Amino acid sequence: MKPADMWGDYVPSLLGGMATNFEISIVALLLGLAVGMPFAALRFYGGRLSVAFAAIVISLMRAAPTFVVMFFLLNVARDVSVFGMKLNMSGVMTVAVSLVPYSAAYTADAGLDALRQWDRGSPLGALLFLPNITRAFFVIVMASGAAAAIGVPEGISVILREAALLPSLGDRLVVFAIGIVLFGVPLQIGLALMRWLQRELGRRLVGA
Amino acid sequence: MNLAVLPGLLLAIAALLSTLAAARAETPDEALETLLKEARQQCGTAGQSPDRLERVVCGKPLRIGVRDYYPLFGTRENGVHVGFEPDIAHTIAQRLGVTIEFVRVNAATRIPLLGEDRIDLVLATMGHTTQRDGQVRFIRPHYYQSETALVGPKTLHIADWDDLATRTICVAVGNVSNAELVSHNARLMLFDEAGVLPDRLKDETCTLAAQDDSFFAYYFTDRAFADRFEQKFGFAQVPWGMGVAKTGSDKLGRALDLLSQIFHRDGTFLEIARKNRIRTTFLERQQQVWQRPECNTAQGSANPACVLPALNLELKPTPFAGAVESAEDWIEKRLGIDVTLPMLKTAPAFSLFLNGVANSLILIAGSLTATFAFAIVFGFTLGSEFPPLRWLAWLVTMTLQSSPIVLTLVIAATFAHALLPYSAGVALGASILALGLTNGSNAGQAVSEAVISLHREGREKGMALFVHALGRSAISIVAFLINAAKGTPAASFIGAPELLGALTDVSSFSSGRATIYCLVLIFYTIVVMIVVWACGWLRAWLEGREVKA
Repeated sequence: MKPADMWGDYVPSLLGGMATNFEISIVALLLGLAVGMPFAALRFYGGRLSVAFAAIVISLMRAAPTFVVMFFLLNVARDVSVFGMKLNMSGVMTVAVSLVPYSAAYTADAGLDALRQWDRGSPLGALLFLPNITRAFFVIVMASGAAAAIGVPEGISVILREAALLPSLGDRLVVFAIGIVLFGVPLQIGLALMRWLQRELGRRLVGA
Repeated sequence: MNLAVLPGLLLAIAALLSTLAAARAETPDEALETLLKEARQQCGTAGQSPDRLERVVCGKPLRIGVRDYYPLFGTRENGVHVGFEPDIAHTIAQRLGVTIEFVRVNAATRIPLLGEDRIDLVLATMGHTTQRDGQVRFIRPHYYQSETALVGPKTLHIADWDDLATRTICVAVGNVSNAELVSHNARLMLFDEAGVLPDRLKDETCTLAAQDDSFFAYYFTDRAFADRFEQKFGFAQVPWGMGVAKTGSDKLGRALDLLSQIFHRDGTFLEIARKNRIRTTFLERQQQVWQRPECNTAQGSANPACVLPALNLELKPTPFAGAVESAEDWIEKRLGIDVTLPMLKTAPAFSLFLNGVANSLILIAGSLTATFAFAIVFGFTLGSEFPPLRWLAWLVTMTLQSSPIVLTLVIAATFAHALLPYSAGVALGASILALGLTNGSNAGQAVSEAVISLHREGREKGMALFVHALGRSAISIVAFLINAAKGTPAASFIGAPELLGALTDVSSFSSGRATIYCLVLIFYTIVVMIVVWACGWLRAWLEGREVKA
């Protein structure tokens, strides 16, 4: 692979594709918060029945594999009508929604923890919700690569498309390595940010 | 000369001349003329239920069903039908001396319209299959043959089936050739409509696409498309036949059989194909066939050595296919739910389904074992007191954490296929390795952190400390074990024949996608819940060991 091709074509395409991964992840996280927080509240404030109901739903969401949910949405949910209107989700939206069970289950768990901390009179403890959600966001970014399986032009699709055209194993490994670096940098920065947030909050918690 | 032998000699000569005359009448041209002459003689007589040939030669128009949006083969421009098939229709009409009336048909309507006597002839990209033989009387010889074309970028080297293993090929759902692609270990990306495939090739969503070559023929007339893409190879040849109704069209069918022979022999089909810029390889071969003396006879269209067989697409049913259909009907009638279970109705689909279930269970068991094993290895090396080993383990862990799971799977598959030829076992092995490494490295990091914290607490060293650390990091180990089980369906992306991949393959050549994906979702959710339950026991056991330590 020529360096000119790599820097002139591949890397910009990959960065463009990764923007789609972040777009998917933001949508999935926001939807996850919208779905997960009411369940967290239900588990915290609800009666025995509603707590049991919330726990079952969260267990199911936690157990549903993203990859399978994505294919389910792609092949089944497209025929579903809501108030007489077909859902007709785009590829990006299909992947984002497929990540919602994970994101919502995680939010429900972290949210329940935050509510308990708040109830115990520890607002700083409740703020640990933020680094937890940051961690979930980066997990979702990495999982959004599943979109390549249904033809969404995101980062992994770009890497695979580039690699498929290269005959030698060595060239393909270079393409993969660049992909790992470009995916890894924001991930590691994000995780470092999360650790810093946790440390800071922990320090203040001890101080309080 | 003995006059007594003269009558005998004359008789012999007469018999010879008669035989020669009969032999000459065997040519398709003369057989056609005779047939048309006989049909014309029926005009004006009050015969009941005349054959459609008699109807059209006596003044009624020949109603021909044609496509009106199938580029190069049948389109409508400014109200005029143009393309290969309308041109054939005009040539037939000219040769029979009849007028024609075009009727717009599509794949769904062409056979019903024939049965309802609203058209006399179907000339509309209709593949000749054994299933359709029961509905239509096909004209032999066939006027065209299509095949499934595998199209990809010119820069990509694909020579034959061996180069397709684990590659993703974009296809339209329901294409009859999908099953053949699946049998050669290709992964399919399904689209509802074939019309999107060229665009998906152009925007590089698809590296390869497979569809009828007659479909791609139009796109290859676009220079920009032809400059970038090429047909890699073709397979699943389907002969195309004109069709007439099974009743009341014996003579029309016979006339068209003879005409098709003549058109092949004389290069008429070939000439029309060239005019419409479609592939002519099949027609060139057919011209040679129909010029052969044994085929160029009035009976040539019935000679198996000259005509092509119909394509047999019927899949062998399972012994319990009838019971499955009854169950589907019962569910629909009683519960109002439209359930279709194609994986239980045909032998190939059932085999894919059973293998998919077995492979999924193997994959999950293997991934859990590998995750636990790698967690121990990474936990040990990351917590090692030997710095080079620790740094190396840290580097590998960081790399694995930075790689999305789909990419890790692809890299594992790339290495596996560089070392070994493709097989289901290799794909499963690569998937287990990738899932185990990814989740095991993360769990191992938690183990090493526990090791470090125990060091700081000044606890015992050696194996006892390590066992203690496993107990302390039990929550993380269990979380990544569950993650590994949840990640197994992603292995279908690299061609591991687990349930999701197997049923996606089944859905590519049969109906019932909604039921199929509902079942896959239920299967995996239940399996993961069982893993969660089992991991609860493991966690309790590990934490119990920490308490003991």
